[in-house]
Amino acid sequence: MSDEVRMLPERYHEAIEHWRQHNFPDYPKLAEVWPKFFPKDDAFCLCAKVAGDIPAEIEIGDDVGKPKALEPKELAPEAAQHLLSQIRAQASTEFGSIQQHQMTLFRAQEPQDQAWALRVMAEELRHGYQMVHLLTSSDWSPVTETKPEDMVEEILSMQTGSHVLAAFNLEFDSFLDNVVFAAFIDRVGKYQLTMQRISAYKPYASSMPPMLREEAFHLAAGVIPLRRWVEHAARGDGYIDMPAIQKAVHKWFGRGLEMFGDERGGQTNVKFGLKDLNNRDAQDQYIQECTKMLDDLNVRYVRARFPDRTRDEADAIFARVASGETVDGLSRDDLLRLPDRRFFRRRGEFAFQMVGTRGETFTDVEKYIAHVLASLPEAYRASIDVKHWADLQRAVIVGTTPLKEAMASMPRLARQAGGCPCGKSVRWVVDAAGGAGGGERLSP
Amino acid sequence: MADVRIRPVNELDIEAICRIDERITGKYRPDVWEDRVVYFIRRDPDSSQVAEVDGKVVGFMLGEVRGGEFGMEEPTGWLEFFGVDPSARERGIGRGLTDALLAGFKKRGAHVARTMVRTQDAEIARFVAAMGFTPAPVSALEKRLA
Ligand SMILES: CC(C)(COP(=O)(O)OP(=O)(O)OC[C@H]1O[C@@H](n2cnc3c(N)ncnc32)[C@H](O)[C@@H]1OP(=O)(O)O)[C@@H](O)C(=O)NCCC(=O)NCCS
Ligand SMILES: [Fe+2]
Ligand SMILES: [Fe+2]
Repeated sequence: MSDEVRMLPERYHEAIEHWRQHNFPDYPKLAEVWPKFFPKDDAFCLCAKVAGDIPAEIEIGDDVGKPKALEPKELAPEAAQHLLSQIRAQASTEFGSIQQHQMTLFRAQEPQDQAWALRVMAEELRHGYQMVHLLTSSDWSPVTETKPEDMVEEILSMQTGSHVLAAFNLEFDSFLDNVVFAAFIDRVGKYQLTMQRISAYKPYASSMPPMLREEAFHLAAGVIPLRRWVEHAARGDGYIDMPAIQKAVHKWFGRGLEMFGDERGGQTNVKFGLKDLNNRDAQDQYIQECTKMLDDLNVRYVRARFPDRTRDEADAIFARVASGETVDGLSRDDLLRLPDRRFFRRRGEFAFQMVGTRGETFTDVEKYIAHVLASLPEAYRASIDVKHWADLQRAVIVGTTPLKEAMASMPRLARQAGGCPCGKSVRWVVDAAGGAGGGERLSP
Repeated sequence: MADVRIRPVNELDIEAICRIDERITGKYRPDVWEDRVVYFIRRDPDSSQVAEVDGKVVGFMLGEVRGGEFGMEEPTGWLEFFGVDPSARERGIGRGLTDALLAGFKKRGAHVARTMVRTQDAEIARFVAAMGFTPAPVSALEKRLA
């Protein structure tokens, strides 16, 4: 049952440690708070973990029953390409989320919330380490001309603004983002890892179970603080109210949906045996789960708002409010709700269709932009990311930017090359002594 | 009866577990269950299980393998918290959950499972006995601290 532990060769291990010093300076705090918040848990280990008892045969797709690949060269060339981009994208998300969490970690009000976020970040670092292990412990030369050290360098050089997926290019504005991100974006992570548990590339499949066990805690680190905030909000003694949570949901939900890839795609991954669900099916399940999450939060809110009512009475109030009635001053708008899946979308089937939070359609682009802005958190509203989206939305509607081009467009928030900012080297993966590298972010 | 699905617990089961606990104890204790469920999720999310009927969680059982408790060094599977909604009882759900946890304990290297039942909880004692548990050669001792 226990996993096998693998360490990276010195130079890659050092590169990640060095990256960690610059991008996750609060990491040493985790060891300080560990005994208080995670007593009896095994100490954190920055290492790759490989699960045993993984099926040896391909589980889905055209090659069901054939042996899983142990080396990239054993996969069909196109499948290997898909797999490599999966691993690179996954790596980008792991390192990217640490950069985001670090921005607002210090703003956590509760020591437990902060300790949990620290642990989440450390485990994301381990996941990144795992991806680097996959890229550097096998021969990828039949698949790419890029050398392993350059693939690693590229991943470590990404910053908020130059990551593969949009969700990892948004800045966090408050600790609410840390928590909503864990609840919504790590949840997509859980889906991706779950789908890839059947991967036809055995080393990747074997990486999934340990990551998934950690991911389960990440989701809890999102949902539990939300549950407690909602209770305080109902009693009126909190510092985060329901509209603030609702707006943060609007900020992240669409980006989460887009992490699944275009709604119309994903069949190729199934065919190659790399995932067991196509994009839309996975997304549908995710939406259902998010709806359940918000329902639970609403129930918690109703219980706290009417503390003298019994469970059955509170359930009845919730049912009536959910269907649109106002009961004892509580209306549907006081509770959380998932926006329409087409709201504020930039990629996929619904990209730049002007659909509001409740599914209402807009014809006037300025009215739509005003609606979206009013639905987003204030700090985010003023960001480069939102400005970039509004410009694109206008350009798509007047026809000056083709939809396809708009879907591929990402705001440049950071310089592409984020080499190590200290004087030791221009590269994270060091092979010889070098000069200083420019890695500072352009302030938006 | 509709099919029962036994699966690992997750963070979205907390409200349902609170509901079952409330039906058993009459108390709504969300903080208590959040702390407990997160503890088990954090340590081994595949070990603790819930039972679903028609997509609704009607039973739960939380437990894990630990060694070194009470000087017993061998890895032990501990059954710690469980409950089945009163409206879903006596249909094998408690047994299904127990079987799932015990199978997981075995897979994790435990050769023995243990639990503790308060003397006054005769019903739970009977359920645990029906699950094949027998009195262990240890005594639970306590001393009130004035
Ligand atoms: C104990 C409990 C989990 C049993 O759940 P259940 O789904 O009804 O149990 P099952 O239907 O699987 O029954 C399994 C066996 O236990 C026996 N059993 C269950 N409840 C029993 C009871 N109250 N008295 C005597 N035997 C009982 C059944 O007869 C059955 O035996 P069998 O298979 O040999 O016929 C449930 O009654 C419960 O939740 N009780 C309250 C638990 C509680 O207080 N938890 C808080 C402390 S952690
Ligand atoms: Fe991760
Ligand atoms: Fe995560």
